[in-house]
Amino acid sequence: MKTLRVSSFGLRGHVGTSLTVPAVQDYAAAFAASIEGGRVLLGRDTRYSSPMIASAVKSSLIGSGCEVLDFGVCPTPVLQFCTARHAAEGALSISAGHMGMGWNAITLIGGDGAFLDTNSGEAVLDLFHSGDFRKATFKNQGCLSACTDYFGAYLDRLCEVVESEEIRKKEYTVLIDPVGGAGCAFLKPFADRFGLKLVAVNAEPSGYLAREPEPRPRSAQHLASFIKHVDGDIGFVLNSDVARVSIVTEEGEQASEEYSFAVVTDHVLQRRPGVVVTNSCTSRMVDDVASRHRAQLVKTRVGQSYIVAKLTDEDGVLGGEGSGSAVLPSFSLGFDCFLMMAMILESMAHSGRMASELLRALPKYHIIKHRRPCDAHAAYHAMDSIADRLSEWADGVKESSDGVRIDWEDGWVHVRPSQTEQLIRIISESTDRDRAERRAEDIAKLVDQEL
Amino acid sequence: MREALKVGISGVRGVVGQSFTPQLAASFAQAFGMYTGKGTVVIGRDTRPTGRMVEEAVIAGLQSVGNKPLIAGVVPTPTILYLTRALGASGGIAITASHNDVEWNALKFVGRDGMFLRPSEADELFDIYHQQDFPCVEEHELRRVAEIENPMQGHLDRVVEYVSETAIRAGNFRVAVDCCNGVGAIHSVPFLRDRMGCEVYSIHDQPHGRFERPPEPVPQNLDALGHTVREHECAVGFAQDPDGDRLALLDETGTPIGEDLTLALAVRQVLASHARGQIVANQSASKVIDHVAAEKKCDVLRTKTGEIYVSEKMMEIGAVAGGESNGGVIVPAVHPCRDSYTAMALVLELMAESGRSIASLRADLPKYELLKQKIPIRPSQAPGVLRAVRRHYESQKLDLMDGIYVDFGDSWLHIRRSNTEPILRIMTEAPSRAAVDKLAQEARAIIEASLK
Repeated sequence: MKTLRVSSFGLRGHVGTSLTVPAVQDYAAAFAASIEGGRVLLGRDTRYSSPMIASAVKSSLIGSGCEVLDFGVCPTPVLQFCTARHAAEGALSISAGHMGMGWNAITLIGGDGAFLDTNSGEAVLDLFHSGDFRKATFKNQGCLSACTDYFGAYLDRLCEVVESEEIRKKEYTVLIDPVGGAGCAFLKPFADRFGLKLVAVNAEPSGYLAREPEPRPRSAQHLASFIKHVDGDIGFVLNSDVARVSIVTEEGEQASEEYSFAVVTDHVLQRRPGVVVTNSCTSRMVDDVASRHRAQLVKTRVGQSYIVAKLTDEDGVLGGEGSGSAVLPSFSLGFDCFLMMAMILESMAHSGRMASELLRALPKYHIIKHRRPCDAHAAYHAMDSIADRLSEWADGVKESSDGVRIDWEDGWVHVRPSQTEQLIRIISESTDRDRAERRAEDIAKLVDQEL
Repeated sequence: MREALKVGISGVRGVVGQSFTPQLAASFAQAFGMYTGKGTVVIGRDTRPTGRMVEEAVIAGLQSVGNKPLIAGVVPTPTILYLTRALGASGGIAITASHNDVEWNALKFVGRDGMFLRPSEADELFDIYHQQDFPCVEEHELRRVAEIENPMQGHLDRVVEYVSETAIRAGNFRVAVDCCNGVGAIHSVPFLRDRMGCEVYSIHDQPHGRFERPPEPVPQNLDALGHTVREHECAVGFAQDPDGDRLALLDETGTPIGEDLTLALAVRQVLASHARGQIVANQSASKVIDHVAAEKKCDVLRTKTGEIYVSEKMMEIGAVAGGESNGGVIVPAVHPCRDSYTAMALVLELMAESGRSIASLRADLPKYELLKQKIPIRPSQAPGVLRAVRRHYESQKLDLMDGIYVDFGDSWLHIRRSNTEPILRIMTEAPSRAAVDKLAQEARAIIEASLK
């Protein structure tokens, strides 16, 4: 369960067993070699292991001749936003995002602020595997300088993208749970800018995860338990690098994270029609919202890099995933929850609706998510037989590079190996709750048999 | 040819961009972390442009195996040694290639007693390193980095307490200091001005590590300091090396008196005003020191070359002072390591208490000519060369403790492999220039013949 996951835009593993200092140094050195020692931004989350990994990364970047701008604890989307504005060759974010304690990851970001594209990423992998690094002497040694004053400019731009005055007038009371992650120190300036009364929980940047870091209805329990008592207008549950969010309504309903992107899609398309990009296992709410606005919806594999690449190709207006994330290319090329929170608040302010009303305006589906622990090599193998079994089991089975999907009139199921964790994920959605649950259970059993 | 990596009792040393990589530094830090156990480790560095890279690698390496790094920042090597003991740390790592040129950097390993690892300890460390099996701790066991506040304070307080501050301040000395763009560029002017009450003129005092003079404080590298001494009519010129452990002196005319005489003057002052007792020096330290000690009826013990051999012997016999011919002065009452700050304070105290100038103090010392030469040599050639030299001097009084030391009574010849570079060092001392040249030429001829 501790295998290192190396991909063209990231390195992920269990600290001390697979994500080791030499692996991190080599990966950072490969990235530095691929950009020939240019300017690089470095940010990290608050995990216990992030400072150590940052030191290992810094040694490699400086030793490869890079000019390193150290952003310290910085949410990945903020780092992505800044990359394009600091004339950098790229950036490197150290953050485990939604993963549990004990894990960490490095994500590579290109000069445009998007996760590193496949071509550049493959160049990094070739260098990583060959060990063909760039060794700087004292003459071309890189350097390191701290960068602290960047969030103001970020908020300035955010206020151009959303109508901050409209939000300010409402004086919303907003609850935010950043799970002790990279977002903690940024909540207050964010709230101040939008005139929010901020109630923050799990907001000590300690790296201790007080709850499951993935924004899910069950991880919103704490926040939902008291939102009524503080007269909160809306609650946001974040992951540890502020790239995913789920909503808690003013009534205390712990909404599925699938609502977040659907609400944002509805809001964006009202103002600016255009192509929307999402993955093949996001709720049908988004399909319905897009067709309601007569917008084209394009689907890709799961993952920020695929969404953003397609979004750029299609010149789309919005991208995102059902796991609770969205990217607005006119703002930046990263999944960004500050942006999402601002747009959801803007939607509330603009329509005069409460959070619960925003959700009720969306078509009603029931979505069930299961996961089964599974080693990566076993997962790929198992997926083949699962696909065979499923074609006996139902009509309309579609196989792709990203798992297996079956569609019915009332819903769908999708089974795929996770790219980031040692898991097989099962998602089932239907207009009928029982049916969604039954299908998910049946497939989970099938997966269990195969494993 | 150049051997770009050297692992030995002086640590791990290499050319950055060739053999000395961030990966290598992290890996040695992991080995050292395992060697010390999961305790705290003091990390300090000199001003080299590659220092920050090495520091980050060392931090990551230490943390990964469960150690807690304590960051001292850019400080002299003696301060790192002092802090390791004073803070009760499990060990220390000094990131400095000392007197090597700017393209080099190194890790020097410090034990919990605040002394460099002894050879047997260094062997254990290298054994751990070569096994390349470093069990890393999991995330929840990682220990956070801490910075040491006012890292210089304790060390310099101790130096100031050791000497007579009142006497030195009353001297109102005007001094010049050449910081070699090293740690002294940050710490020496405040020390001399604020703690010793001197009027200070400094050169090479930007701490950028791109040494504006060759880093060894030998006479041929100190013209600029001589000029500063004369221009501002200073009483003394102090020349440091990049990591602040060695010191050379210039007299009031701006003339270098030779870095080997720093030890002689410092020992003279210790014996005169602080304590009587045994003195320890390495084999190739000038015979001048024997005369200085004899005046106070004290003995000089000789050791192999290498700071740790000298300081270890000093601790073993309870010596009061000692050091090396390269300008390294050790006073155990301050801390048992080479320290240019202790040396500067002792020289100022000597001037203050004797009321005499450096030139006149120098004139007291017996005249010897010391000649140091080096010949590049491949490691494989060294044993054959040393055998040839030994055969040639078979009939003389030989000491084979460290290379070959030939004692001719009032002159001597010492040939040994460097601990830090792929070279053979040839050192000769005799009462006259002619005699020393003759000895050196003879030695060179033997070596060159055996290399053919």
